Parts: sequence; structure tokens; C-alpha cells
Amino acid sequence: MNDCMEREIQDLLPDVLHGTLGAAERPRVEAHLAGCGYCRQELEVLRAVQSAAVFTPSVNVAAIVRNIPPYGITVPAVQRPERSPVVRWLVAAVVAVVAVGASSQLLRHGDAVEQARIGPPAPVHSLALASGLDELSESGLVQLMNEMNTFDALPANEIEPVFADDTSAPIDQDSL
Amino acid sequence: MSRREDGGSEPTDLELIEAWKKGDSRAATKLVGRHSQALARFAASCGEREGVEELVQDTFVRAFASLDSFRNESTLRTWLFTIERRLMLDRRRAERRDRETVTIEDSDQVSEYGALDALIAEEAQERVRRSLDALSPTQREVFTLRVQQGLSYREIAEIVDSTEGAARVHYHNAIRTVKEFLKDE
Repeated sequence: MNDCMEREIQDLLPDVLHGTLGAAERPRVEAHLAGCGYCRQELEVLRAVQSAAVFTPSVNVAAIVRNIPPYGITVPAVQRPERSPVVRWLVAAVVAVVAVGASSQLLRHGDAVEQARIGPPAPVHSLALASGLDELSESGLVQLMNEMNTFDALPANEIEPVFADDTSAPIDQDSL
Repeated sequence: MSRREDGGSEPTDLELIEAWKKGDSRAATKLVGRHSQALARFAASCGEREGVEELVQDTFVRAFASLDSFRNESTLRTWLFTIERRLMLDRRRAERRDRETVTIEDSDQVSEYGALDALIAEEAQERVRRSLDALSPTQREVFTLRVQQGLSYREIAEIVDSTEGAARVHYHNAIRTVKEFLKDE
């Protein structure tokens, strides 16, 4: 049996089953079913599904109705348990500690942002700032010599030489 | 179901709701009686095994407690299915670790629902039930609502919180799976 591509008809097959097919669609669907074995078979499958005994427990209508609150009476929401005073103080203390900690972090973060804006501090070489070499001990002198190896001998970016005369500009012969 | 069932003698759902709001408890009984079996069947079809009656009861309690929010844009039954489905999802989330979602076992049916013995004995029906177990939860919901409850795709989309197009796709995938299952068996 060839597959049927009439999706629209197949969509309506459950309505055929329930007898709820609209008057406008009925002739078209019935005419199609008369000539299409695929859709007739699909309708049979639907019939089998519809009539298949699905375990359905009986329900006690009276018991359900008894549990329905009268109109206008709202079902009370679940109450949150009342906290004891000790617990309330503990919660307040925890909130205070967290608030102080957060503020401190924010302030530190602010300093860090400011520091990043103005750039890193210049390296401080405590020994180099000593007033005179004579005051350094021998070990201090060795340390200073080692630190000097790390000093930049030249600026990181060498300054471009600037030439006063512009060769591209026309030469004023009178000024010569 | 907002329509009259038998040519006008049966009050509509809306009329019953109004009567209940005015204190007529028989109206609640009629509403529960009208829709409870469909809700139980939907729950069972979706694989709910235990506490179906409790689930149906919770659905009605919630629905009646919030009837003022029912806008009559859908039928009452569609709205009830929506509430029930949410309750089922909540249950599944809560019980996911230690709960098996259902396959209907013959022994249970025989011991608890003896009236179904004759039906269970028919091999074809048993195979159909097993084919439903092969569907994904959403496919099963959509397929059940469409085939067993006869709801429209628009109503199903509202219940499963999806689009009409997605509901159609779920339905087609479900029928294909069921047919393949039945062919392979």
C-alpha cells in the first residue's frame, strides 16, 4: 500500500472517529477515504487506539466535591514557620558581616581600579635611595650592584630625532 | 464543555459555575461528575499509575479555587486538562528519581480491575496499549488528547503549552510510531 501524502486529510481522521468533522470537510474526507487504503488503515488504527482499554480508575465524585472549598474562600497558603529571636539575631549578624565584607571588597576594588588608571608605581629600590654609598655595608653594596643589573640603560622607546629643516618644503632663497 | 448536551435541558458549564458561585453545591457535583472521568482517563493514558483519583481531586480543588480566572476563552474541560497536566508535570519532577512511569501490568489489571479482563484478553488491544508506551511523554499527551478525547489541535496546543503546528507534528510522529510498533509486533 502506497503512503498517502494528504496530511490535511490525516489531520482530520480523529474528527471522523469522534463524529466531529465539520460539514464543509465531510464530503472531501469521505471521498478521499473511499479511494485511499492507506488512510482507511490509519483510521482503523485510530479506532483500535480509541477502544483500547486503558486502565482508568473510577473516581469518587462525592469525595472530590467535599474537598472543594466554598466560593470566595481562598485556600490558605502554606505558612512559613516563625523564626525564634535567637535565629533572627543570628541572621542579622550574618547579614551584617556579609555587608561589611562586601563593602570592604568594593573599596579595595575601587583602589585597584584607581591604581590601574594611574599606572603601576615606579619601582622603589630602597638601597639606591640611601643617602650615600659610604653608609652601605659590603653585603648591601653587593645587593645594590645586583639591582643595578636590572636598571634600564636606555628608555624603553627611543626618542625619534627631530630635524628642523623640512626638505619637502620650498627653500626660501632670500633667507639664505 | 460549554454546550448543552441534550438539546437544551442540561445546563452548560458556565451556568453551573454561576450556580455554584451562588452557593448551589449540586452544581459542583454536576461539574465534577461531567469531567472527572475524562480527567482520570487522560491521566491514566499519560502513564499515571498511582493516585489518579487524588490527581483528579487536586485538579478540581485548584480549578474551583481559581474559577474567577477562567475566561471562557477555551472550554472548561480544556482548562481542566491544562491544570491537570501541570500537576502531572510537578509530580513527575518531584518523583523522577524513584518513580517508574508506567506500563500497565497484566497482574494489576486482573487483580484491581477485573472488569477489564475480557478486554485485556484481546491481544490486539494489549498491543495497542504497548504501542502507546513507545511514545515520548509529549507525543503521548497529544495523541491521547486527539484520539481518545477528540480535542482540536488548538485546544491541545493550549493544554500542552505549545503551538498548533507543533501539536500536529507531535500527532503525526505519534501515529507513525504506533503504526510501526503494531507492524513490527
